[in-house]
Amino acid sequence: MSLIVSTAPHVRSSLTTRKIMLNVVVALLPCAAAGIYYFGYRAAIVLAVSMLSAVLSEFIWQKATRQRVKISDCSALVTGLLVGLTVTPTAPWWLVMIGSIFAIIVVKQLFGGIGDNFLNPALAARAVLLASWPARMTAHIAVTAFPGVDIAASATPLVGAEASIMQLLMGNVPGAIGETCKIAIILGFVYLLLTETITFEIPVITVASAFVLSYLLGMDPVTTILSGGLLFGAVFMATDYATSPMHRWARVLYAIGIGCLTVLIRKFGAYPEGVTYAILFMNILTPLLDRMLPNRVYGHSRKKEAK
Amino acid sequence: MHEGNSPARLKKVFTNGLISDNPTFRLVLGTCPTLAVTTSAINGLGMGLAATFVLICSNMVVSALRKVIPDKVRIPAYIVIIATFVTVVQLLLQAYIPSLYESLGLFIPLIVVNCIILARAEAFAGKNPVLASGVDGLGMGLGFTLALTLIGVIREFIGAGTAFGFQVLGSSYEPMLLIVMASGGFLTYGLLLGIINLLTESKKSHRQKEAE
Amino acid sequence: MKASFRGGVHPAHHSKRPTRYQPIQDFVSDTVRIIMSMHIGAPSVPCVKKGDQVKVGQVIGEPVGALGIPVHASVSGEVVSVDKISYLGAEPVQCITISNDFTDTWVELHPLGSVEHVDPALIVPAIKNAGICGMGGASFPTHVKLSPREGQKCHVIIANGAECETHLTADHRLMLENSIRIVDGLRAAMRAVDAEEGIIAIEDNKPDAIAAMQKACHGRENVRVQVLRTKYPQGGEKQLIQAVTGKQVPSGKLPLDIGVVVLNVGTCAAIADAIIDGRPLIDRITTVTGAVAQPSNLRLRIGTITQDIIGECGGFLDSPGKICFGGAMTGLCLPDPTLPMAKSTNGIVVYTPEDAASVEEESCIRCGKCVSVCPIGLNAFEIKLAADKDDIEKARRLSVQDCILCGCCSFTCPARRWLTASFKMAKQKIAAKDKAKGGSKK
Repeated sequence: MSLIVSTAPHVRSSLTTRKIMLNVVVALLPCAAAGIYYFGYRAAIVLAVSMLSAVLSEFIWQKATRQRVKISDCSALVTGLLVGLTVTPTAPWWLVMIGSIFAIIVVKQLFGGIGDNFLNPALAARAVLLASWPARMTAHIAVTAFPGVDIAASATPLVGAEASIMQLLMGNVPGAIGETCKIAIILGFVYLLLTETITFEIPVITVASAFVLSYLLGMDPVTTILSGGLLFGAVFMATDYATSPMHRWARVLYAIGIGCLTVLIRKFGAYPEGVTYAILFMNILTPLLDRMLPNRVYGHSRKKEAK
Repeated sequence: MHEGNSPARLKKVFTNGLISDNPTFRLVLGTCPTLAVTTSAINGLGMGLAATFVLICSNMVVSALRKVIPDKVRIPAYIVIIATFVTVVQLLLQAYIPSLYESLGLFIPLIVVNCIILARAEAFAGKNPVLASGVDGLGMGLGFTLALTLIGVIREFIGAGTAFGFQVLGSSYEPMLLIVMASGGFLTYGLLLGIINLLTESKKSHRQKEAE
Repeated sequence: MKASFRGGVHPAHHSKRPTRYQPIQDFVSDTVRIIMSMHIGAPSVPCVKKGDQVKVGQVIGEPVGALGIPVHASVSGEVVSVDKISYLGAEPVQCITISNDFTDTWVELHPLGSVEHVDPALIVPAIKNAGICGMGGASFPTHVKLSPREGQKCHVIIANGAECETHLTADHRLMLENSIRIVDGLRAAMRAVDAEEGIIAIEDNKPDAIAAMQKACHGRENVRVQVLRTKYPQGGEKQLIQAVTGKQVPSGKLPLDIGVVVLNVGTCAAIADAIIDGRPLIDRITTVTGAVAQPSNLRLRIGTITQDIIGECGGFLDSPGKICFGGAMTGLCLPDPTLPMAKSTNGIVVYTPEDAASVEEESCIRCGKCVSVCPIGLNAFEIKLAADKDDIEKARRLSVQDCILCGCCSFTCPARRWLTASFKMAKQKIAAKDKAKGGSKK
């Protein structure tokens, strides 16, 4: 009788990398659905292009560099979907494609592939697109649930367009495909929490600190957190594993940083929206935060830790 | 490295600067102007040539004076020599190519503190005869020019759709503005460095295989 | 309020179901193989030889050193052999094989009487002579735990009935069926060290055990039940102390340094047996579960051979892939089913080949789950990186020695990385290095 001998533990949690990534995809589906509902077939094309080019570029890169092809872990799919959801529905196909390729090749693979990127790939790609083709990226359109109806260029609530809180919640406003419908984002958030894919700290603290700071600065806090990509960024971007801190207090500081920077950029910066840059900035600080505020080791005194 | 001005050595000194010890891609010196002025091919070329001129002249003068300059004050002495030639270049550019002078701006006077020039004075010209130092300056300068022009061409092509100012891509091309921004400079430089490292690595391993 | 600690996981919570309601049954096999080093400390020395007739409870292994405890015959009969065998990866150990004559003839026992009236000075020697060591898995000699050194004073004794490990229900059944003995043993231990408080800590997934123990505590001095949140590793010594007392054991120190002693409930019951009946530790309760026909809780004589036990439970369901002593999180794999169980074997779990299939490490995705579940608060992610690079000095700086090898990080890792195994290796390497250093200094 041959028995397997291995070290403990002999049981593993059912949550694998692939499952986590699929959980994120599922959590993003309401956002994608809302985007397609509001912005019509254009949004669907954008999402299809972004996902396809992300997965394909990862496949081709891994083939070309003779690595094991790991597209089945679905992380490229998530990145592609996130790229698609953060661009405006009028984005041309080549813009979306460049975004996805940049996210996968330059931000993710060149730094060592899954887990080794120091920036959130989708957000870094969005920042590149925004800096390169600012007019294309901000060509927002009014919402129409009916394809074929004339589409008029329109401003987002962040640049002064009037929108009621109900409109903001439902996503009945111009903006990027995935970021407008807050209800869908909250649905996704709840799903991620229930599947233990993410914990609540980062999104909740991010939004709360944005709320508080905008109130202190005399802005309308409710509109602040419900407009633009704050909620989407807090739930889906700030919680990216590789680029957010691991230690308890480092996470808290990271989230506060994102919330506050977002408000500061919106209030004082040249851009109407600051979530992207706030998150990317805190991404860069992540290793330092982890080093600065590590979890306390059981049985070690705080003083000893400081040495 | 043996002393002297033999033609074989001069050739080696020259190609050293141009390729195998390329200041930008191999020594990673003078990155500040590299990143700042390579927004177009012309800027890169102009900056490279200006630096080359200063490099050749300062190398030769430093070499000629190498036995006169006391060791303790050599760095200030080098800086004075370099600054002299930089002033010459600056005034010449201002007089004859004002447009280039405008676009390079502050980076012309900053050639004084360009690491490459001081490094060559210290590492080569201070120990070698005049002719060899001049050739070293020429090789290094042209290597720098080559690298800057290459980066400039790439950035200008992607970021503006032009090459040396001429429209290459059709008007339907929408330039990728990021590439001509500072971050685009870092990106292009980093990717080129990566590619060059990759090529030399594969060459090395190829040679090793052949040797085996 | 339900006490708990930070971190932890909830592994395989269905695994206790098959044996939860299985009453304890006796099983005596025809041969036992008794290992001489069932405890931490120097192995005992056999004092019988081949052909000797032994009685139940007779000392067959003499203790050696301060940590030594005697080993007793668990059945009566003839010594068939005294030889060296390899046991669970450690160095070869001496093993006495006894063939059972089924007469169950006991040696003469010397009961000390009621735990409330016995002379406290006699308790610790009685515990030592009964061969009692920690029965929760660590197998540290109990008399040492109850012998405070100069400057140490035990205030609280915690009877550990958390049983947070997967699959195991032995302590649960013991608390249900033998609750009075547990309280007796706890009281004896408290009297031995003059402790002020005795706390029986039980996870809230065992409400029947909580009720039984509360009933048994009724009318007894200074003992109470503390309900714990169900979470692994709630029964880990350090986590239990933090949950119950709110204090942390300083790194490198013993619980006794902060006035706490933790005893497994099985150990408590064994102490009561030793005092009240004068009976040495010759049997224990073991959960046998997993891919066996009839998962059961058995009262086994120490040294019962694993395959006999599985035979008693109706045999394997399928061809077995892996047999482990202990639960799924910390269990030790058995290389050979002819090896016997020992004093610390709280469970025998059989895994099917599918469950036992080894998992392959994938790329770390830096999710940080290993860091957030670590009950010790270690930076598991960084330690794993250091351990993979064989940088044990960095691992040491990151306090890998404080790792309790609970397995939470490996369990939770979505990339299936072998964190706990790496940490175990790193700890062993550090210990070996320190030993070599100490040796060269001398």
